[in-house]
Amino acid sequence: MPGSQSNDSPNSKRSYGKDTLRPVTIKQLQDATHPHPDAEYFIIDGAEATQVTFVGQIRNISTQTTNVTYRMDDGTGTMEVKVWIDAEEFNGEENQAVAKPKPVEQGYARVWGRLKAFNNKRHVGANIIRPLQDFNEIQYHLLEATAVHLFFTRGPPESATAQQSKTGGAQANGMANGHAAVGGEGLPAGTSQATKKVYQLISTLPQGHEGVHVQQIAMAGNMEVSEVLKATDDLNGMGKIYSTVNEETFALLSF
Amino acid sequence: MSESTPRVTAPYLEQFSHQNVRILGKVRQLRGEQATIDAGGNINVHLNRDAHLQLNHAVEIIGKVQNDLSVKVMASVDMGPEGNIDFNAVEAVVDATHRYHEIFYTKEQ
Repeated sequence: MPGSQSNDSPNSKRSYGKDTLRPVTIKQLQDATHPHPDAEYFIIDGAEATQVTFVGQIRNISTQTTNVTYRMDDGTGTMEVKVWIDAEEFNGEENQAVAKPKPVEQGYARVWGRLKAFNNKRHVGANIIRPLQDFNEIQYHLLEATAVHLFFTRGPPESATAQQSKTGGAQANGMANGHAAVGGEGLPAGTSQATKKVYQLISTLPQGHEGVHVQQIAMAGNMEVSEVLKATDDLNGMGKIYSTVNEETFALLSF
Repeated sequence: MSESTPRVTAPYLEQFSHQNVRILGKVRQLRGEQATIDAGGNINVHLNRDAHLQLNHAVEIIGKVQNDLSVKVMASVDMGPEGNIDFNAVEAVVDATHRYHEIFYTKEQ
């Protein structure tokens, strides 16, 4: 791909499978944690982020021999964006004639690229920078970035999970006294994935009157026992399950 | 970080006095070096020399909120006739900016 850096390829095999393209704000890029200095990815909201996209205003353009550096500002911070110059692109004059609209200073543009850290300074190595045709894309992007941020920090929106929990959801909601926001599976929004999984397992595993043992849950869910215990603790606290014959055996509290 | 310019509308101005903000509004009045922008209410702005505002156009302003809740313009971008911009989306962005400020700006306190 023109503009992509050749040093991306050698050891990025592992990440191709889980490569994602994440809409972000520049502040999120500044706040992202870098697991170790050579890591190919950053962590944003607890999730790996490799490719990112954002919309911002170009404050400054400086053309170097090997790349063009854009200083971009999206209202949440500023970030340098480097686009590597593809030598071949300048070969033919016809190419220039059909040239795509060029980013200009003070104009708005969307960037696609990869966050990088170099000498403790962050920049985005961009594959593409494209001037905006429609200013509504600024709003679109910021709302999309917010939605993705909320997905990672609070779980999927209720509407997306509502259908799955339609059966029994009505009764469960009636019993979830005090929980204003009831997420999927009748659990409050913000419940961790592990806790949701354990709740799912306790509801579905075959069991007698005394419920299921944590060992059984761990095996069925392929989880650590400690992880299961933490989840059962959470669920116990929510009043969703209760311990039966001993402290490590639980049954569902609803109906 | 002070580099950020949070997106605001008129009701937020008081909360951001003496800070740099970003306002997307409709140009309602031009009076020489001053103008009135409608963004969730009228905002009085003091123009700089290279601000070229047009009546009934959408404009994005970066500026500093003054004591009297007017805004001193540092930069402005004309965004074309106001019908081109979906102001419901603009309103939603301002709401999200302050509701989920963790991805937009650092709250001072």
